[in-house]
Amino acid sequence: MIQVENLEFQYPGNDSPTLKGLNFEIDKGEVFGFLGPSGAGKSTTQKVLYKILNGYRGSVWIDGKDLSGWDNTYFGKIGVGFELPNHYLKLTGRENMDLFASFYPDGRKQKVEELFEMVDLQEALNKRVEAYSKGMKMRLNFIRAIQHNPDILFLDEPTAGLDPVNAHKIKQHILDLKAAGKTIFVTTHNMNTADEICDRVSFIVDGELKTTDSPQKLKSQYGKEAIRVELKDGRMEEFPLDKLGENTAFLTFIKQAEVKHIQTLEASLEEVFIQITGKSLVS
Amino acid sequence: MKKILRLALIDFKIIFRDPSLRVFLVLPVILFVLIVWLVPYLVAKYEFLVPYLSLMLVGAVIENTQMYSFISSMVLIDEKETNVAKTYGVVPLTKRQYILSRMLIPYLFTVALNVILFWVQPFFTIGWGTNLILSLLAGLVVPVYVLAINAIAENRMQGMVYVKAFNLLVLVPIVAFFVPDNFKHLFGIFPTHWVFQSVNNATLGLPFGWLAAIGFLFFGVLLWWVSKLFIRKHFV
Repeated sequence: MIQVENLEFQYPGNDSPTLKGLNFEIDKGEVFGFLGPSGAGKSTTQKVLYKILNGYRGSVWIDGKDLSGWDNTYFGKIGVGFELPNHYLKLTGRENMDLFASFYPDGRKQKVEELFEMVDLQEALNKRVEAYSKGMKMRLNFIRAIQHNPDILFLDEPTAGLDPVNAHKIKQHILDLKAAGKTIFVTTHNMNTADEICDRVSFIVDGELKTTDSPQKLKSQYGKEAIRVELKDGRMEEFPLDKLGENTAFLTFIKQAEVKHIQTLEASLEEVFIQITGKSLVS
Repeated sequence: MKKILRLALIDFKIIFRDPSLRVFLVLPVILFVLIVWLVPYLVAKYEFLVPYLSLMLVGAVIENTQMYSFISSMVLIDEKETNVAKTYGVVPLTKRQYILSRMLIPYLFTVALNVILFWVQPFFTIGWGTNLILSLLAGLVVPVYVLAINAIAENRMQGMVYVKAFNLLVLVPIVAFFVPDNFKHLFGIFPTHWVFQSVNNATLGLPFGWLAAIGFLFFGVLLWWVSKLFIRKHFV
């Protein structure tokens, strides 16, 4: 669905390029994550892909067609959820949604009431957005991005500013959209979000992609396929996961005293990121 | 067309719901009260004001353009500051359609205000054709002003500073009325000079067509240029 080859972009006035030859592909129905610290080039990549930034080098193909060859119909095909809330504060949630829906040839594909209900904003439908909290505005961002039923979604930090309950709901909606065949490009520095929703992730640092793979493979590759067992008497041992149920050393060990703790030694996505890039995601 | 009108109507909602903008809608009323009642009263009482009637009308015409210049500038700056402008970069609306939708109503509204002003002012006889040409020309101040301010201002505070500066700039060509005739067109580097001179000549019964033509051309080129600058900056 999306193919990017040798993508380079330099902002006017900057000494060096922000994107330095990115290569990646996103398949139809895939949730693809860009993980990286602030300033790594995540949002710039998305801006190139949704045609806000021109003057890039390299090639970008969307649905088999060169990005530069797409006219305004492209914007009917994509939906963009911005990192920060951006709505007319003096208008109500419904008025904001209606305004932007009116620009699409086929308008909105779902009732506005249903969209608001989907993200628990039904009470706020006719309230001015100036009365919304940041989390409510972010949820409004999300439903505005999907209201015209786009094939491709660009979501920039989709769970930023949300409480855990609403963050979970948004993640579930993203997975529902994936199940409906949507292609979703997520940028985030929240590795939990990436781990939970992405089929594959790319690590981007200083405008360069360091690796691309599924979170599960990366965690296995850079962690240990083993468990650590801690007994209440303080003894601790590690055992390989392979044929754990037949491992007599393990079975003997856990019978020696009450088990206090068992944990897998699989690396977290953040640990993998630090190992590969030498940098932290949170900056 | 539907898209364009939709956005234009939304602007009205935003203006009416923002007390800091709504208050500016009474400016033309004040201006009309001055021109229809106060100035005639003063002119009747102080005869030395008579030679300045044309200049007063020029001032009123340009002040008519300032209401929407300010309001629209603030609406668009606010849109940029709240990042709503970015959303327009990713919807099926061309940048030209966007500019047309945001500028058409302010322009037509300002033209209408000036048509009414030329009609109700009691000092000169101005025919409908002349009235319309002068009003269409003066109205062009609004889109040029708004797009220029928004091409350079990053936020409301900067916008206010530029508004002050632009308010001064549009009035500078008034000085041309106080210099010898040979030098007056030196002020032609300011686009409003051609509006002022056109209105002045029309009120004095002198030919004004060539002055208006230069004005339309000047504003046309400026509009094309500031639109390009605006498009480059507003949606990113």
